[in-house]
Amino acid sequence: MNTLAARSSNTPNSLSHLASTPRRSLFARHPELFTLILIVLVSTVVGSINPNFFEVSTIFDILRSSTVTGLFALGVLIVLAAGGIDVSFTAIAVLCMYAITKAVLRYWPEAPFVLILFCGAWMGALLGACNGYLIHRLKAPSLIVTIGTQYLLRGFLLTFVGTVFFMVIPKSMDGFGRIALINYMAPAGSTAVLPASVLVLVVAATVTWFLLNRTLMGRAIYAMGGNLAIAERLGYNLRVVHVFVFGYVGLLAGIGGIVHASTIRLASPFDLVGSEMDVIAAVILGGARITGGTGTVTGTLLGVILVTLINNVMILAGVPSTWQKVVIGAFILLAGAVFAARRKK
Amino acid sequence: MASSNSVSGDPFLNVVGIHKRFGGVHALRGVSLTIMPGEIYHLLGENGCGKSTLIKIISGAQPPDEGELIVAGHQYHALKPLESLAAGIETVYQDLSLIPNLSVAENVALTEQLVATNGKMLRRFDRQLLARTSKHALETVGLPSDADFRETPVELLPIATRQLVAIARAIATRARMVIMDEPTTALTQREVDNLIRVINGLRASGVAVLFVSHKLDECYAIGGQVIVLRDGEKVAQGPIVDYSKTQLMQLMTGKQLDGRRYRTGVPTRETVLRAKGLGVSGAFADVCFELRRGEILGFTGLLDSGRNELALALAGVAPADSGDLRLDNELQYFNTPADAIRKGIGYVPEDRLSEGLFLDKPIRDNVVTAVLDRLLGRFGMLDASKGDGLAEHMVKELQIVAPNVMLPVQSLSGGNQQRVLIGRWLAIEPRVLILHGPTVGVDVGSKDTIYRIIQRLAEKGLAVIIISDDLPELLQNCDRILLMRKGCLAGEYDPAKMEEAELYHALVGTERDEVAA
Repeated sequence: MNTLAARSSNTPNSLSHLASTPRRSLFARHPELFTLILIVLVSTVVGSINPNFFEVSTIFDILRSSTVTGLFALGVLIVLAAGGIDVSFTAIAVLCMYAITKAVLRYWPEAPFVLILFCGAWMGALLGACNGYLIHRLKAPSLIVTIGTQYLLRGFLLTFVGTVFFMVIPKSMDGFGRIALINYMAPAGSTAVLPASVLVLVVAATVTWFLLNRTLMGRAIYAMGGNLAIAERLGYNLRVVHVFVFGYVGLLAGIGGIVHASTIRLASPFDLVGSEMDVIAAVILGGARITGGTGTVTGTLLGVILVTLINNVMILAGVPSTWQKVVIGAFILLAGAVFAARRKK
Repeated sequence: MASSNSVSGDPFLNVVGIHKRFGGVHALRGVSLTIMPGEIYHLLGENGCGKSTLIKIISGAQPPDEGELIVAGHQYHALKPLESLAAGIETVYQDLSLIPNLSVAENVALTEQLVATNGKMLRRFDRQLLARTSKHALETVGLPSDADFRETPVELLPIATRQLVAIARAIATRARMVIMDEPTTALTQREVDNLIRVINGLRASGVAVLFVSHKLDECYAIGGQVIVLRDGEKVAQGPIVDYSKTQLMQLMTGKQLDGRRYRTGVPTRETVLRAKGLGVSGAFADVCFELRRGEILGFTGLLDSGRNELALALAGVAPADSGDLRLDNELQYFNTPADAIRKGIGYVPEDRLSEGLFLDKPIRDNVVTAVLDRLLGRFGMLDASKGDGLAEHMVKELQIVAPNVMLPVQSLSGGNQQRVLIGRWLAIEPRVLILHGPTVGVDVGSKDTIYRIIQRLAEKGLAVIIISDDLPELLQNCDRILLMRKGCLAGEYDPAKMEEAELYHALVGTERDEVAA
């Protein structure tokens, strides 16, 4: 009592009993650490069973396989942070990929890759922005709207654009898929190649990070994810945020689609759709809450790497590929438990 | 917007003939106000009189149906939130309107940048400016301003601190008018004193303040003009010193009320609940007391006194980890709220919106939710008619104003919501009823009804514990008041033999000289 009085007489304006900042565990402040631990755990286990795991080619493989999932995941991160969800991005990606490939092959087979990528980005952004506008206008849950547009876009693609595989893709796309960023000669004589497409993910991650952390739009996204009604009352223009967020997801999906076709050298209208859950799982494993308002770029990238790791290298440990889903499922439950505990604390 | 506010003859805000209807309810019926710079206005009225609606119209959260607003010489039919902010109108909403996942600093100072870019969001946000502005605002309201606190997400803070954060946001930028809708509900006396200092500072620098509170003592302590609304109409305006407390209450309610003691019954000799050495580590320790049938026992203390934790321990929400608790001389361990409910302990939480009521559910569902097992009919199905009967009984018993029991609770006024919550716990036929802040955010008329209900329950033999900040409430209702300080029982007082000022001194401890007024 006396100490309290003494303190408040020193600083008449400070309410000392409110000064204690709530202490939070390390996981609570940095959920992505948990993801990192899981990655280390999986690597250690796989590596101890099969020493071949610790090779440069494995890292390159994982990075290559992470690229497209990573692009999608960055989009999902932004939507989750804004308090929504999007399951139509794979449909946007495959529509952009297939329609643009088809158009280029027919009208301008020599089109430069940058132009193709640009078209993919714009087409995706427009389709995504429609999602955002519908969600804002209808005041409907984003899950419902994007389930609707997923079916719509895919149906449109298969009905009006085509159902034939393109086994030969435009030359410039093919060329881009083959550009090597690093050529690594292993001592055994085999070469490991890191494709340049990884750079697209690096750029996208940097831009997304900047957007989320250094712009007012980023703050608005988290604010809307925290509480939509309050954000509106505080002067945020929710229509702009909605259109922007879903447009951005569409943009990344469009880019992802083009990059995907370039790296696998195949444009199939039946591709990608169905893999939404893998992407959402990766973002959740990266520490973003499904209820919105949280999530980091670092965590998301780690989540993508974790999922890719499980999908690609468990085979090295002699685990049948059917077990991949079991492991991912178990990790998601584990992450759910850990992240729920961090909130109670 | 840059018309001069230094000329005292120019009003900052003119509200002219505002009407607002919600469905069939005519919430505001032609309200007109003039707000001068550098003046404090107390907006008084019962819950449901239209105060909150009027505030939302001024702050741009809702458009009026008729009428107009003239802000610093500019005429608007309806303000958008950003227009209102740009004109310098800042609001501390009743629900605080903080974004839970954003940091303290962002909640306090982000609006400044949003206003500066006129709502355009593809701009870099200035973290230095954010730190500077928030630091200054936090210091002003008496919160810590170190980087650690500024980075804390608001959702981790206790409710009182959040209320101060909301106030810090309102004064963070050079506001020209600050609206505070019940800014003191979660604050203790000490923090209220500090807030009054902040408000006086605002007044001195030419800011208009519109202050909404149910605590008339605070309004007198702050001084200024008073505006009384009743049923959507302005019934009085003038300097607050021209009105007595009784006059104001009469204007608000249209009924005669006074500050007399409500306590009617006398406790029996039969002990119901006995706590011995009860403690929760880090919150309180060695709390001993006895509670008799028909007794009303009050607990009070500052926010860090452990009173809230004691309430939660008794209710089994956050169980005690030392000492023992006996109900009818039988040792009890309440590890979950369900344990406590089974033994007949009803707990009405402080924050009825987030901890107590299912707002979008009807009155009936809210009343019966703790006694579902008693309402089972054949094949273990719920018997809806039993539930209706119980709910109708409670509505009558507790004088809840509602046409039927299927009305969603959110459509009721604060006082009626609180009664629904009390009804839920009466439904379990409790031995002990714990009321945590039973009249927080409840208007004077409803307070009166709730106090009468509490007294009637005690007369019927219920043992009641009231945990509250509202000293007149404790003095008017309790047989004994136990004061907690720093996690310990610090004194027992007989409300029949003491004045509010005396209890207040005991509560705040040594800062006697400050509260002479």
